[in-house]
Amino acid sequence: MAISHEFEYIKPKTVNEAVDILAKYGSKASILAGGTDIVVKLKETPFNPEILVDIKGIDELSKIEFSNGVLKIGALVTFSELIDSEIVKTNFPLIHEASTTVASIGTRNRATIVGNICSAVPSLDSGPALLVYEADVIVKNNSGERKISIKDWFTGPKKTAIKEGDLVIGLEIKKPTDKHGTSYVKLGRYRGEDLAQAGVGVFVTESNNYKISFCALGPVPVRATIIENLLNGKSLDEKILNEAKELVEKVISPITDIRASKEYRMHIAKVMLERALLKAKERITSVYHETHDILGG
Amino acid sequence: MEDLKFIGQPITRIDGKEKVSGAAIYADDIDFGPNLLYAEIVESPHAHAIIKSIDFTDALKVDGVINVFTGKDFPYKFGLYMKDRYIFAQDRVRFVGEQVAAVVARCPKVAKRAAQLVKVEYELLPAVLDQMEAIKEGADLLHPDLGDYVHVPWFFPKAKTNIAHWRKIRKGDSDKAFKKADYVLEDTYNVPRYAHCAIETHVAIGKFDHSGRLTVWASSQSPFTQRHLFAEALAPLGITHKDIRVIAPHVGGGFGGKAGVTMEILSAALATKCKGNPVKIRWTREQEFYNTYQRLGVVCKLKIGIKKDGTITGLDHKIYWDAGAYVEYGANVVNAVGLSAIGPYRIPNVTIDSVCIYTNLPPGGAYRGFGYSEFLFGLESHMNRIAKHLNMDPIEFRKLNAIKEGDTLAYGAHMNPNGLFDAINKVKAEIDWDKELKSKNPDKVLGKGFSLFWKAPAMPPNASSSAFLKFNEDASLNILVSGMDIGQGYLTVMAQIAAEVLSVPPHKIRVENPDTDRNPYEWQTVASHITWSCGNAVKKAALDAKDQIFKLIERTHYLHYDMLYLEDEKVKCKTKPDFALPLKDFVINGIQVEDGTFKGGPIIARGVFMPEFSSTNADPETSQGGHPNVHYTVGAAALILEIDKMTGKMKVLKAVEAIDCGKALNPDLVKGQLTGGLLQGLATVLYEDMRYNDKGKLLNPNFTDYKLPTSMDIPDEIVPIIIEVPQPDGPYGARGMGEHTMLPAAPMIANAVENALGVRITSMPITAEKVCMAVLSKK
Repeated sequence: MAISHEFEYIKPKTVNEAVDILAKYGSKASILAGGTDIVVKLKETPFNPEILVDIKGIDELSKIEFSNGVLKIGALVTFSELIDSEIVKTNFPLIHEASTTVASIGTRNRATIVGNICSAVPSLDSGPALLVYEADVIVKNNSGERKISIKDWFTGPKKTAIKEGDLVIGLEIKKPTDKHGTSYVKLGRYRGEDLAQAGVGVFVTESNNYKISFCALGPVPVRATIIENLLNGKSLDEKILNEAKELVEKVISPITDIRASKEYRMHIAKVMLERALLKAKERITSVYHETHDILGG
Repeated sequence: MEDLKFIGQPITRIDGKEKVSGAAIYADDIDFGPNLLYAEIVESPHAHAIIKSIDFTDALKVDGVINVFTGKDFPYKFGLYMKDRYIFAQDRVRFVGEQVAAVVARCPKVAKRAAQLVKVEYELLPAVLDQMEAIKEGADLLHPDLGDYVHVPWFFPKAKTNIAHWRKIRKGDSDKAFKKADYVLEDTYNVPRYAHCAIETHVAIGKFDHSGRLTVWASSQSPFTQRHLFAEALAPLGITHKDIRVIAPHVGGGFGGKAGVTMEILSAALATKCKGNPVKIRWTREQEFYNTYQRLGVVCKLKIGIKKDGTITGLDHKIYWDAGAYVEYGANVVNAVGLSAIGPYRIPNVTIDSVCIYTNLPPGGAYRGFGYSEFLFGLESHMNRIAKHLNMDPIEFRKLNAIKEGDTLAYGAHMNPNGLFDAINKVKAEIDWDKELKSKNPDKVLGKGFSLFWKAPAMPPNASSSAFLKFNEDASLNILVSGMDIGQGYLTVMAQIAAEVLSVPPHKIRVENPDTDRNPYEWQTVASHITWSCGNAVKKAALDAKDQIFKLIERTHYLHYDMLYLEDEKVKCKTKPDFALPLKDFVINGIQVEDGTFKGGPIIARGVFMPEFSSTNADPETSQGGHPNVHYTVGAAALILEIDKMTGKMKVLKAVEAIDCGKALNPDLVKGQLTGGLLQGLATVLYEDMRYNDKGKLLNPNFTDYKLPTSMDIPDEIVPIIIEVPQPDGPYGARGMGEHTMLPAAPMIANAVENALGVRITSMPITAEKVCMAVLSKK
């Protein structure tokens, strides 16, 4: 399908060059990285930027770095690169697992995790993992650099804390110190690639500290603080799991859309939470292995 | 059975290397040079509206635009079985996405940009989106002039209604049968619309040259039917059949969607206004969903009466089709089902009403199975429910009532030879039907599903096939036929048939896609009839060649015609063991005789097949009297389904399907069809679903939300079983089986869900969500 409208295209080589262009064009500029969202928008919707700033030429943004217990993911790092990274798999298994569920291999070879949070659709698979790890979003513009906590990043469906002239240059994540297990459980309509109809990411430490986050079950991905507070310090048994499941309705606000009904989402979020908790707990001591069929099917 | 060398062998596809190597050329690959023009279609945003005006002055100003065309340029009707549509909408649009105008430009970007500048003013009409509303008294009419439409004699439209066709069967007395029955089960089943989703979207290029020659290259299942429909529609321009040439390159999947004529008419018509320049249209995936054909949606009201001993006494099947805005092809789906909605059962008293209803949704048309999947979902669900009520095993109940050779069909003719019982027994054994199943996982349950199926080709009684066969110097062969290889392996099987007759191995036979100028007539590659029908034509052509060869040998070598036979590319003689004349010695250059002259010449043969016993002449009120269907292909299938009780998620652990294809000319290809068709059927029941909003707009014309299963979603194990009870009039006993393979999938899943969880789902698709919510509401 042809892209029928015209726009300027520019490919800066440095971050400084890029932020200067963004400062000059403001809201008339759009950033192109992996392009898996923006190119589709260009072809199929009235979306019509005046200038497309292709940041793929900025080499410094394509790195995964890990030092002093801090992981830095550049804005050009693709999901495939995250999946293939032993550093990520060993130290941030929830990012690894969530990345394996994003779209298809072809899309993951281009799509970036930073692009995923910039598109900020409610179903984004990277949301729960980044919320659970309490990542920071590193943003730069022509007056300097700042950090935005991921919990303040998502402001609405497809809306973020990004401002005109900003370029997200990467993510920073501290490695959790306690021994832990994680699990990302995603509801799709089949085993093939799908957008999440519901997603839950769970992080459990040996000493029963819990971090839980949902996606696709409200306008933005959310941390389930009240469920975490209930569970913290307690080991999982049938009674506490049932109490946790009851609290799910207070955390999420699912809608009915073409992919699933509100009622099904509400029901299955509870099942998913239970299974994700048990799976994360099991993984504290067992070897990590992928379990895409945790929901059956 | 005669000793067969090439028939029944798993011969490697003759088009395989071409396709695997990338050498195969598809319509979109053809290079038309710098004069190629592109058309972008301006589409209706409304489901039902009057076109008040079209203003394209701004579009014409865009640099690179050649011209803009509208319905005014082409006031011509077209249609396969009923002429109910125009090339472009005239004064009225009837579905969202209908073609209103076309911008022709030098590049697709320019065409698309200019198309956005075409201003169309509409006056909205109430949209009729539900077939049950559309048949109510006083419903808004889509086609006020329906009474004047031209159609085939076996359609019965009702003027001043939305009913385009009504196929009625009346056999025996079903009301009396229900009164005499010990138990009557009545329920309604709903099946939504579906899309074919062939990997290649529709592409058509038309070229009208300065001599008045119209050539159309199209991704097509029906080159000859397309030529005929183009000739009919464009006759006012003085274009005749001989002036039109349709070239059909390789096709990236059809499934019925590329049968008949849909968007191809646009390229053909636009070309006539752009003399000398080829005009190309390539559908986007979105257009492929909403402006080709869709599988019709259906509401089936089914009533069956049974005696305590399990004998079916009567059936009343009322089938209401959501056929869309134009039914020129889809009405024949309705007709086919009307004739066959008893399923493969012996039922003495039958009432069937299959009603074709216009709605303001995209046109319904051919889709693999041609309506049979739709009614079998309800019928085969019903059979299980009845068996359960009678406390009978569902397979034993079916065996009690299953149709046999010679039984009377709904329309009065008799059932052909078939291996239905053999299929049932083999499936039952392979799936280990009587074994108790229990999941080791406490969250999961297992269920078993079973279904019978049948289908006949739906075709005009005079649909025919033909073949040319010509020898080359080395005794290799070119066979010219006009069916399409849409994945089923048709070209290979045609080579095998000729190979068997002429003793020339298939790798020495070239069979290619057609060009209507060069290749002989074929109706269409639809209805699972091509192997049977064109296979007969090829066999006759090969026999014609053999006859020519033997006559030549008789008059040059003085050997008795009846004593001659072909073996290993040689003519041999039963009474003269040392005689062995290689075909390559004479099939082009003839045979030299004593006086030094040559006799014979190039061996060129022909074969034609038409089912001369078929007829649609029947009483319209009862459908008794004709012989509309040439034969039925039958089969049985079963599966084991694992369901997560808490999520509704399902997985097919094992599926078994047996089909009686008469004779598996190429067992690998038959098994491929069995597997592929079953997967397509499972897709329609588990995942796919066309969703419209209340304005008639399709909400999921994409693979983001119209879910086609991937390789990760296939069952753990699929066992294809071939049954061979020969079709007396088929080539080497073969009958069609391509479409049938998907038919049992939906009822099998419904029956397995019921078996596992005790909930009966009566609407498709049966998604994880639907199963889960049904379980929750049962609690």
